Amino acid sequence: MRLTFINGSPRGNKSNTERLMDHFIKGFLETGDNICEIEYLTKNRHSLAALAEKFAAAEHVIIGFPLYVDAMPGSVKEFFETLQPYMGKENNPAMGFVIQCGFPETSHLRYVERYCEKFSRRMNCRYLGSMLKGGCEGLDVQPTFLTDKYYQYFYQIGVEFGKTGKFDEIILGKLARPEHLKAENLAQIIPFINQALWDAQMEKNGVLDRSFDKPLMP
Amino acid sequence: MKYLVISGNPCCDRNYMDQYIDRFLDGIKSAGHEVQLIVLRGMKIKPCTGCFNCWVKTPGHCLIRDDGNEIARQYIASDHVILVSPLIMGFLSSLLKNTMDRIIPLVHPHIEDVAGEVHHKKRYDKYPVISFLLEKESFTDAEDIAIATGIFQREAINVRSSLGFVQFTETPVEEVLHAINIH
Repeated sequence: MRLTFINGSPRGNKSNTERLMDHFIKGFLETGDNICEIEYLTKNRHSLAALAEKFAAAEHVIIGFPLYVDAMPGSVKEFFETLQPYMGKENNPAMGFVIQCGFPETSHLRYVERYCEKFSRRMNCRYLGSMLKGGCEGLDVQPTFLTDKYYQYFYQIGVEFGKTGKFDEIILGKLARPEHLKAENLAQIIPFINQALWDAQMEKNGVLDRSFDKPLMP
Repeated sequence: MKYLVISGNPCCDRNYMDQYIDRFLDGIKSAGHEVQLIVLRGMKIKPCTGCFNCWVKTPGHCLIRDDGNEIARQYIASDHVILVSPLIMGFLSSLLKNTMDRIIPLVHPHIEDVAGEVHHKKRYDKYPVISFLLEKESFTDAEDIAIATGIFQREAINVRSSLGFVQFTETPVEEVLHAINIH
């Protein structure tokens, strides 16, 4: 099976999207004869038409991106626009998505997931499904007992996809937890993220006391 | 009221949309409001790179040198921002989406519980209402509109605003102005 992974993260190969997909691809390549090619939107910004041609000639495509202002990043949208000439064509590839966000709940990703499903149908691509994962900002500073769990899920979905050409619905469901958080969990997690992720970086940069600056104040 | 209309129409041969915007602006002005138009086409707006410097290095200010900060400045100075775009493959033009990605310096990196969900804290005391004026594609259906509107509702929460209206350019300008109480 041939897979083309298009990483749409503006952070390219240093992205959280890439970290997650590394594990999927590792699992996918465990089945003999499977081949995976990776393309980065950051490297194709000035040659989107050529990337669209590659898309149309591909067998299976997974497009990955982080949630930006509740949808796909503008640069990913630009790529979607470039695919318009191939809309509805016969022999378009099967298409799936990996969408991640910093927010801990998956509920933030549900509308863009629906968009991606509709987009696949409109393109006349068989829809493989979407791997949704919240809580992905700062994967490198998260405790490994947490990250190992998601990485394992991505690996398992990759193995299964490598064998059957389908995403495992049960593992997709596990990956997408929590959909929402209970009030007591929110109360616990919020100060932790604010401190460990944001205040720590601002402190390092010496701007913690200016954190609430309003430089564009009218 | 201070209105800001941001046109994300990427193409100058979509004359209908530009003419519609002109008549829409006239209507807002003649109702006695202040209104400003930003035409994104031809401006310099690079995509957000996700560096988060606007949160952790120069709080509230994006380090990309282009028109992004100026647009954010005018955005936060308005009472109501109307985002105008053709639907392209079922969603806002990438020109407009890239611009929206660049307004994140207006919120704070810290998160808080907003009606049972995590969202970013406010950086400013007051945020404009946001609305959308869209041109349909030949194949736009009710599902496309439901998905896009769902995303807009979430966006409004995340930029600590509220969603004003979602209207379409197939409706005559006068009717849209009436529906949004500008008359």
